[in-house]
Amino acid sequence: MDFANLAAQLNTGVILPEGIVLVTLMVVLVGDLITGRASSSRWSPYVGIAGLLAAIVALYFQWTTTTNPISFLGAFNGDALSIVFRGIVALSCAITLLITARYVEQSGTALPEFIVILLTATLGGMFLSGANELVMIFVSLETLSISSYLLTGYMKRDPRSNEASLKYLLIGAASSAIFLYGVSLVYGLSGGETRLSAITTSIVANNGEQSLGVVVALVFVIAGIAFKIAAVPFHQWTPDVYEGSPTPVVAFLSVGSKAAGFALAVRLLVSAFPMVSEQWRFVLTALAILSMVLGNVVALAQTSMKRMLAYSSIAQAGFVMIGLIIGTDAGYASMVFYLLVYLFMNLGGFACVILFTLRTGTDEITEYSGLYQKDPLLTLCLSICLLSLGGIPPLAGFFAKIYLFWAGWQSGAYTLVLLGLVTSVISIYYYIRVVKMMVVKEPEEMSDAVKNYPEIDWKLPGMRPLQVGLVVCLVATSLAGILSNPLFTLANNSVLRTPLLTPATIAPPASGTALLDQPSIHSSNSTLGG
Amino acid sequence: MMSTQLPWLTILIAFPLLAALPIPFLPDKEGKTVRSYTLGVALVEFAAMIYAFWQYYDLSNPEFQLVENYAWVPQIGLNWSVAVDGLAMPLVILSGLVTTLAIFASWKIKHKVRLFYFLMLALYSAQIGVFVAQDILLFFFMWELELVPVYLLIATWGGQRRLYAATKFILYTAIASVFILVAALAMAFYGDTFTFNMHELGLKDYSLGFEVTMYAALLVAFGVKLPIFPFHTWLPDAHSEAPAPVSMILAGVLLKMAGYALIRFNIEMLPNAHVYFAPALAVLGAVGIIYASLTAFAQDNLKRRLAYSSIAHMGFVLIGISAFTDLGTSGAVLQMVSHGLIASSMFFLSGVTYDRTHTLMMDKMGGMAKQMPTVFALFTAGSMASLALPGMSGFVGELAIFLGFATSDAYSTTFKVVIILLAAVGVILSPIYLLSMLRTVFYGKENEGLVSNVTLTDANPREAFIAVCLLVPIIGIGLYPKLATQTYDVKTVAVTAEVRNSLPIVAEQPFHVTFPLSAPTVLGAETKELAGVVK
Repeated sequence: MDFANLAAQLNTGVILPEGIVLVTLMVVLVGDLITGRASSSRWSPYVGIAGLLAAIVALYFQWTTTTNPISFLGAFNGDALSIVFRGIVALSCAITLLITARYVEQSGTALPEFIVILLTATLGGMFLSGANELVMIFVSLETLSISSYLLTGYMKRDPRSNEASLKYLLIGAASSAIFLYGVSLVYGLSGGETRLSAITTSIVANNGEQSLGVVVALVFVIAGIAFKIAAVPFHQWTPDVYEGSPTPVVAFLSVGSKAAGFALAVRLLVSAFPMVSEQWRFVLTALAILSMVLGNVVALAQTSMKRMLAYSSIAQAGFVMIGLIIGTDAGYASMVFYLLVYLFMNLGGFACVILFTLRTGTDEITEYSGLYQKDPLLTLCLSICLLSLGGIPPLAGFFAKIYLFWAGWQSGAYTLVLLGLVTSVISIYYYIRVVKMMVVKEPEEMSDAVKNYPEIDWKLPGMRPLQVGLVVCLVATSLAGILSNPLFTLANNSVLRTPLLTPATIAPPASGTALLDQPSIHSSNSTLGG
Repeated sequence: MMSTQLPWLTILIAFPLLAALPIPFLPDKEGKTVRSYTLGVALVEFAAMIYAFWQYYDLSNPEFQLVENYAWVPQIGLNWSVAVDGLAMPLVILSGLVTTLAIFASWKIKHKVRLFYFLMLALYSAQIGVFVAQDILLFFFMWELELVPVYLLIATWGGQRRLYAATKFILYTAIASVFILVAALAMAFYGDTFTFNMHELGLKDYSLGFEVTMYAALLVAFGVKLPIFPFHTWLPDAHSEAPAPVSMILAGVLLKMAGYALIRFNIEMLPNAHVYFAPALAVLGAVGIIYASLTAFAQDNLKRRLAYSSIAHMGFVLIGISAFTDLGTSGAVLQMVSHGLIASSMFFLSGVTYDRTHTLMMDKMGGMAKQMPTVFALFTAGSMASLALPGMSGFVGELAIFLGFATSDAYSTTFKVVIILLAAVGVILSPIYLLSMLRTVFYGKENEGLVSNVTLTDANPREAFIAVCLLVPIIGIGLYPKLATQTYDVKTVAVTAEVRNSLPIVAEQPFHVTFPLSAPTVLGAETKELAGVVK
């Protein structure tokens, strides 16, 4: 069997985008060794961004051409949903790279290594978005997690960064173990199946429709996922890790890592646990309610910007879970749409926080007082991004929230929608508090940090990319709402073209036989045969 | 329906917002270019508005005109669907007039000039959007769009307690608007068809229980904004702490958004529930009038007193729309237009006074008529209009509401007598608090403390011009009410006819669900009688 034949049999073309990221990663790593620190920290961010953009272009071509999405004998599924999620992860990494360079530069640590680890995390996240088999899921999850632990502790001279890393590592390792335990139960119950599409049928064949073991496995698995998406009550790591870690890492964790977690949640729960869908919907409903309430209420009391954004990201995860819980086409699509919009508004917010920290060295909310006088651009960006997170029209966040609530109401999840609405009013309060600090305060009420605000200098190395990232997020956040039609189409298509989600919404969720007709199984069989 | 070459309403909504975008880049050191630019934009907008309505609006047509309909986000059924009818058109013109004058009135704003004018123009767009939106989600969009500009305008340029007032404003309004969205979603998904179009939503056949629930939700949403008696507490703070130009818009236009929405949603779309709620509205209106008038009397702060008088005047609107007569509905619209003009002139003049005295406490003023005769004359004229002096627009509005309610056949005589009596007491109270305000501020001996500290100069031509621009229509409408009524008459007659249709329908299917409202029982008997008459 020659190599080309093997590649064709494994359908390796599907993971071309991941391949590109991997090559980029190697180039940065090896290039750093060859050219030396000084020169490599100049070019490495651009190589990283170029690689990620190339990966996104490759994803785009996969999107437009319909080929067989199943590769590696069913281990990886490159369907439309995974393409969108991989795109979100890659894009969030690309924007994070834009806003990273200056931050790492100023902290005096090595930039290329940071980029290598970040790209590894992205690689893990992208694989996780399409992973269709238990071992693959676990390996990519660990790739993502371990790189994340490294990233949070990257500022090794800063004790808070060390603390964050240790906390994240301990809680993360525990949750990985729990997740692995749940997965092992699934493996056992299904009689040794690891492919998600085959698990359900085997479980039903071995244990009948309902079994306590499946429910126990489900609970463990959800605990693992909830850790990744920072849903209450698995959120405890979030505020401390967000506060201590380097801000660009937080930006990536809050968007890229979270998106990968949601991709995992959709794929795993919908394809492996359809027979207990009522149970997982119930558990997730509880998690969503807790996340929305706790995230939004606790955010009110925060004095540190990063902690506030941490709680806000917990609350946002709660909103996104509404789409997952209702499980209709519109529900999944609204989830994808929300994550797409969330990517820009949250990264934009973090870009502003990074810029402010770089110039003043603090991230206390009160220190933002009177910033409007000194830096109107930063004020504008941060205001727009925060108001968009709060769901104020005409910004993108408004449309994202409307779509979620629309989908929720359509499928009759009235309590969730009402709760979402009420908690988003609460969220307006703490978001607008920051805007108030920046805009309303008179010159005499300016904070010391703002009084000593340095002259704005975009010429410093790494500042241009940061500015570009800021403006991209600003433009996307302000216009993606008004011109949201293409994004809506993208989100809807990603769901409609995913065979995994379409039958799940038509067929009654509890029936195991309906899954036999699932096209993905046929296609995977044909791959095996060919 | 008439088609026009240009999408006028879209232009009217988009123009101020688009014109606001270059403001940060205008070359300007002291804010003079920006303010002239903004005033120019506002004037162009106002002129375009007048031209569009003059040219393409047919007064004798009760249907929607200047209709535009584009799919915006078809995936969730959101359409950019705008149109005006007799209800919206006068209010669009009112908001154009008041906002343009408010921009002219903010000539003295000195700090953060660019932001101020940017927000004013954004607010301009949002107001027009609210009045012309014919898609309930678009309406919600516009309604929310106005929130942040108003918040920032109050919080940045307001008085001493501005942060408190602004936060209270945004929390009240944001919580209330949750009800709008919930009602919008519930009504859109009701039944087999899905639509956000307000006209089609009005045609849907809701069950009575559902309709009543929706009505209650929307009543809370708009009741906060109008404001209706128990939900009004944000208003005195917001109106008195806001800078004068913003108070003008708040009192002149934003309150009318709620009155407009009550007619547009609660009456036009949910007429069956309106039959049950109307008596409660009348009672709330009367209570609001008495309560706010009495409270106004106790205020030492000039703007707080005016704010309470606004609450009292909006009580009349409630009575008007609960009358089930042409005259009542028409009076309610007239009262909104008239109060928009009067309230903005009063708030403007209080701002003019504040610029001289640097205080709003009435006990620190006194005897200012001597040095500020023009301001005094204008202030008096405004107060007279506000207390409904015959010959001024306030009189016509309130008279129409009284007549409309008195001739209503939907209520028992006792009920009508009580409501009218209470409202009449309010009419008597308003001269008391307004005249006493004039007396403390302008009459009598000059306040030594004031005169020694500040120089009282009379109104300059700009200020006089703004006040006159508002007073001329007030007197014009007062002397010849047809000026205003002809713009909406056909529409209010149609609205009333439609809501009267549901009177007998409701009587035939008595609403026996246990709903905690005592008034419908009074009405139930009456409507049965009425149904008998109709048959």
